[in-house]
Amino acid sequence: MYTAEDQDFIRVLVADDDEHVLRCYREAFGRDEPSRHMQTLSDLAAELFDSDEEDIDKPRFDIVECSQGADAIQRTMDATEQGSPFDVIILDVRMPPGIDGVQAGSEIRKIDPDVEIVFVTGYSDVPLDELRRRVPPPMRLHYFNKPLSFTQLAEDVVTMVREH
Amino acid sequence: MSNRPTSLPLQTKVSTALAVLIGVFIVASYLILNQIIAPAFNDLEMTVAHSDLKRAEMAIQTDLEVVEAVTADWAPWDDMYSYVSGENPGFLRSNLNRATLDNLGLDFLMVYSTESRPTWGMVIIEAAEADLDELGISLPNHPAAALLASHSNPESKITGLVATDLGPALISSQPVLRSDYSGPVAGAVIMGQFLNDARLERLRERTGVDMRWVFEDTGGALPGSDGDSGFDVDATSIMGHTVLSDILGARFMVLRSVTPRSISALGGQTVGVALLFLAVAGILVMGAVWLLLRAMILGPIEGLAQHMTKIRKSGDLSHRMVGHRDDEIGALASQFDDLTGEVHEARRALLDQSFKAGKADTAAEVLHNIRNAMTPMINGLERLSKAVGVTGKLRVEEATKELASTDCPPGRRDKLLQYIDASFQHVAIVGASAAEDLDIVTGQARQIEGIVSDQEKFANVVPVVEVLKVDDVLGEAANIIPKGVQPGVDLDIPTDLASYSIQAHRIGVLQVLCNLILNAYESIQRRKVPEGHIRFEVAPESVEDRSMVRLTISDNGTGFDEGTCERIFQRGFTSKTKGETTGLGLHWCANAVRGMGGSISAESRGLGQGAEFHVLLPAAQGV
Repeated sequence: MYTAEDQDFIRVLVADDDEHVLRCYREAFGRDEPSRHMQTLSDLAAELFDSDEEDIDKPRFDIVECSQGADAIQRTMDATEQGSPFDVIILDVRMPPGIDGVQAGSEIRKIDPDVEIVFVTGYSDVPLDELRRRVPPPMRLHYFNKPLSFTQLAEDVVTMVREH
Repeated sequence: MSNRPTSLPLQTKVSTALAVLIGVFIVASYLILNQIIAPAFNDLEMTVAHSDLKRAEMAIQTDLEVVEAVTADWAPWDDMYSYVSGENPGFLRSNLNRATLDNLGLDFLMVYSTESRPTWGMVIIEAAEADLDELGISLPNHPAAALLASHSNPESKITGLVATDLGPALISSQPVLRSDYSGPVAGAVIMGQFLNDARLERLRERTGVDMRWVFEDTGGALPGSDGDSGFDVDATSIMGHTVLSDILGARFMVLRSVTPRSISALGGQTVGVALLFLAVAGILVMGAVWLLLRAMILGPIEGLAQHMTKIRKSGDLSHRMVGHRDDEIGALASQFDDLTGEVHEARRALLDQSFKAGKADTAAEVLHNIRNAMTPMINGLERLSKAVGVTGKLRVEEATKELASTDCPPGRRDKLLQYIDASFQHVAIVGASAAEDLDIVTGQARQIEGIVSDQEKFANVVPVVEVLKVDDVLGEAANIIPKGVQPGVDLDIPTDLASYSIQAHRIGVLQVLCNLILNAYESIQRRKVPEGHIRFEVAPESVEDRSMVRLTISDNGTGFDEGTCERIFQRGFTSKTKGETTGLGLHWCANAVRGMGGSISAESRGLGQGAEFHVLLPAAQGV
């Protein structure tokens, strides 16, 4: 659970109706703790072969998942009321049978004007201009087409959080 | 389709209204003629009857006045005076004779002296002289004898009717005076005429009235009191009567006039003829009104209604009325045609939009689902690549070589063994993870295959079928061909195709025709003929009792051989060379035409001989 002391975590809310896609998010934004055998292997390689593997300072995410636009609105409202708003909210555009991601994003923007909203979809019949009009401001609105690399998406999320 | 209540056609309603109007007109005419015109004739007839009776009465009175005038001419005469006084015997010889009575038109003449004693008298009965005493009035016991024979003063005179023993008579008695009307009264002159059949006949001839009389002493019944008059009306005549009194004031005779009811008969005929004329005229006028209404209003409205019904039943909104009239109904028909045209265009646009929107929605959904399915697949492959990359960096081979060396210290040997063991554990874990990722990739690939399969099922959905006019479809297909393709090629579309309509999916038919036209163009270009011809022919055809329309498109292009003809509609087959356009293909065309309930076939006399494609489509019903 995120606490006020966990300032290094990037809080991400993901809403997508596809369980496989949610798993990808989970893996890309999960807390990537090295396994014990990997640590052992890495330590032995360093000792035996003078391996110089970089110890990258990887970002850490606190990810919350849901599968419907209405859930995303509710969780945003809860997080804001608890004083722990999300840094980034990633929304699929099409999430039947409930409201679509654009409508959810529009409601979320009213709740949290500062959150970065990312639309990720396989296909959208809503033009980008209309997205910008319905979910302002444009600098806090991002759009990605599926299929995409979630590893790359995680890196982009880090970038947009650090820039703002 | 809504079930509207059956109502009387407008024509029937108008006909019924006109028939009722004719009936009312005839009844009204009958009432007016019978209540107003016919009574007027009766009144006129009664007036004539009154006039006849009056004329009969006046005729009697005129004759009386004549007798009185003649008497007045003879009574105050010096010669008569001196004769009655016994002083002029020659007067008797020269004046009192049969010739005088004949000249004066008298039936009897009597001259009395002052002693009321007849001095001279003569009676003529049926042209023969009769005895004066037979007349009766000269006898002392006759009630009128004293009254007629003596006059007390010069002004005395008596004129009127009197009953004699020889029959009723007109009589006048005046005192004998000098010519200057001075007295004293020397006697009396009595002149008279019998009211006999001969006189009655003369009166009838003179008055033109069918006069009759009945005298009391002949046993005739005298109606009413003196002066009574009245009229008896029967079917053929009006009989007027009036009672006349004699010189004594007693009821004497009933004078009758018989007026034939010719006026009322004529009135009846007139009314009948007028009624017949009005009825015939009314029917003719109403007939003319009906014909005019039918020609100017009912017919056009009926035509418009039939036009609307035809469009409603056939659904062919492209159908138009022929020959708009230059009036309000023509304007209405024109506006209806315009409205139908707009609806037709709107429906066509809606169908196109629906078709495109449906395709767009389907494409969006398919893209969304495929991309969603590809996302875990790509990320699984990414993880697999990453894991394999880490595995490639393991230095197991180097560790194994070092272990084989005798120079390896024991402490390092243990570490190397631990490293090799850890490496194998890592490979095993990576292998398990890779298997899991491969499962994901496989699963997602199957999901994509399922999405594609679904689309194949949807591809079999029957599109919307509508009534299409062949000339419209061919014209539209010819216009769709891209500019620049047509030069040098003559595209011949017949102009007399207005009677041909088909039931088909418009977009599908257009795509098929465009495909065939394009194929023909390219075939002509391949053959490099100087003048290319593409010709359409349209003809009706019956296939297994179904009405079809055959569209034949022929060209003078390369044609094809028998082997190609057998495979030309197979999936993937093409005779085109590299660089030529590739459209939907004849396989798609065959499926599309079959999906519309039709068929397609091709024939050619061989390479270089041109080709013919026949498209059979269901004919529109009720058009």
